[in-house]
Amino acid sequence: MRKLGVLLAGALLAALPIQASVQAQEIGIGLDIPLSAPGDATGGQLIRRGAEIGIDMANASGGALGKKFKLYVTDSQSTPAMGVANYRRLVGEDHVVAVTGFFHSSVALGINEVAKEMGVPTLAVQASASDITAKHYDIAFRTHAVDPVRVAAWMEFIKKKGFKKISIIAETTDYGIGLTDETIAQNKSGNFGLDIQKIAVDNKATDFTAQLLQIKAFKPDLVLNIAVGQPVDLIMDQATTIGLLPNTPMLISYDAPTRPQYWQLHPKNGTGIYFIAYYSPKSPLSDLGQEFSKAYKEKYKEDPVYGALNGFGAIMILQQAIKAANSTEPKALIKALETGTFKSWPDAQVTFPRADGVYFHNWVPPILIVQYTKANQDWKEADVIVSYSKK
Amino acid sequence: MFSTELVIQTAISGVMIGVLYALMALGITFIYSIMRMINWAMGEFYMIGSYLQYVLVAFLLGPDLWWLAIIVSTAGVFVFGLVVQWGLLKPIFKKPPEARDDYATVVTLALLLLLRSLATGLAGPNQFTPGSTLPIVMVGPLPVAGARLAAFVFALVALGLFWALLRYTWYGLALRATSQSRVGVQTAGIDVLAVDRIAFGIGVGLAGLAGALLAPVFLVFPTNGLITTVKGFEIVVIGGLGSIPGALIAGVLLGVVESFGAAFIDSAYQNIYGFVFVLLILVFRPHGLFGERGREA
Repeated sequence: MRKLGVLLAGALLAALPIQASVQAQEIGIGLDIPLSAPGDATGGQLIRRGAEIGIDMANASGGALGKKFKLYVTDSQSTPAMGVANYRRLVGEDHVVAVTGFFHSSVALGINEVAKEMGVPTLAVQASASDITAKHYDIAFRTHAVDPVRVAAWMEFIKKKGFKKISIIAETTDYGIGLTDETIAQNKSGNFGLDIQKIAVDNKATDFTAQLLQIKAFKPDLVLNIAVGQPVDLIMDQATTIGLLPNTPMLISYDAPTRPQYWQLHPKNGTGIYFIAYYSPKSPLSDLGQEFSKAYKEKYKEDPVYGALNGFGAIMILQQAIKAANSTEPKALIKALETGTFKSWPDAQVTFPRADGVYFHNWVPPILIVQYTKANQDWKEADVIVSYSKK
Repeated sequence: MFSTELVIQTAISGVMIGVLYALMALGITFIYSIMRMINWAMGEFYMIGSYLQYVLVAFLLGPDLWWLAIIVSTAGVFVFGLVVQWGLLKPIFKKPPEARDDYATVVTLALLLLLRSLATGLAGPNQFTPGSTLPIVMVGPLPVAGARLAAFVFALVALGLFWALLRYTWYGLALRATSQSRVGVQTAGIDVLAVDRIAFGIGVGLAGLAGALLAPVFLVFPTNGLITTVKGFEIVVIGGLGSIPGALIAGVLLGVVESFGAAFIDSAYQNIYGFVFVLLILVFRPHGLFGERGREA
């Protein structure tokens, strides 16, 4: 028995250097995204598609520091606790050099609290709560629209349309609460004079009839649908049932309607919906963006949407930053991200300066408000109602 | 804000959703009353029912035959339940009763993870809907989706048939007898494991029926049974474990409490009201509204 124990210990010791040497041959990048409910699994899947093609393209172009990249994917389920556990595992066990992804703001906020202690940088691609970058943590970077810009876009839209009574139905997450508070703040600071009804909903609920009946009784000019994932669609359907839609316009707070299943889910009530988008095919793409778009269309037989583009962009940015730093050491990588200028999918340079407030380490894409004007309309043909860039 | 119309609309909405919740709870409590085990994978049988409904309506039968799809989906889940009982649970119940609950818990939890992972692997994480051609109808002052009203009516019919099965058939008599004494039934010459199989099939069939009925209302995705299962367990606690009338009445009560709480207190805590209600029941009637007080030696 003792002999067997010695043999096992010897085998373990012999295996250790091999394991270390295997890990040294690759650069690990973590991707924490929602892949199951109550998270927006479709959103997570789109980011994953983009990141995976990004890894392939990065490796085809030689990787970095003589090594290839490897993607480690984890499912946050939109739960901060799960996201934090994933981050710890990615950093502690998989030894990734950066963690990207992050669809749900609550997850990104939770992870950043741990990341600031563990030191490995995060790059959020589709989480918009202000505090993700407004806390000015050295490790926190983002390539996504922040609350003030998104709200400024819809306030411009509301003003343009002459709406006066607004109902906000928002999920009780950092995303929903952040956008609701920012809307109320901008209404006050910008003297818009809007009469705002605020309805908060649990993102795990499935029946929103009671809340929508309250909204209908308020008789708003516009309903702001600030939910994520299945609740977006359930709110649309249940609003249609009680006669709120299509009589009252609805603005969806992100680009969910650009997804392929939108018209399968909403063949009858999808027309007329306004929604936020961060990319239009009419927007120019960089060389990298065009190459990605071609690869994506070949692989998935559809055009890439923003989530996929931004997932891809994150990998490209990290590859360039590691090359610029000539290191995967966290502090060197953070320095490279802060001082460098990067090519991503848009035809514009991406930077992460130590700017003031929410714009710290944050590159913000332009915000579009678009509208479907006919059934089964391709999102690329949807009318652009407002195009807003950070002032 | 407290208009009479809004109060009536909220009440109708609560009752309708409550009956549908009750369907799920009935499956849980029925299996418990016969087999004395909790099936933790009930939500996954709900999910399978919803996927079957989607596939049948979208690809095979078409939207006009939605009612036939519901029957086929329910039957499909019933048969799958028979297979699960035969393959996974029967071996546990053949052995002496020590630790039977523990084994059943482990098996059904493993089944939950397996079925959920299979659904994600086979269908992806996206949500789907079988759609519905049924028009919106007015129930009093409340406009209700045709699919939801159909689900409500179907659920009531299913509950009626279930009651009739228990009350007027030999199988119902055997099921009721088994719920009272498994040993007593065996001494009367009834194959109690065969009764288990039928009970498990019916119980998960009710979950599958709920999934199929609610597929066009609450969408189809791998974890769509989760919320309904949580509601089902809340109802079982409120109504009393093993009580069939309790499941129906508690379902309606839970639906109404949640709807009124969301409409007139604070909509953010819609799911919390149900838990508060459960806590109150546990404080004042620990065995539930219709549950029987247990005996301890």
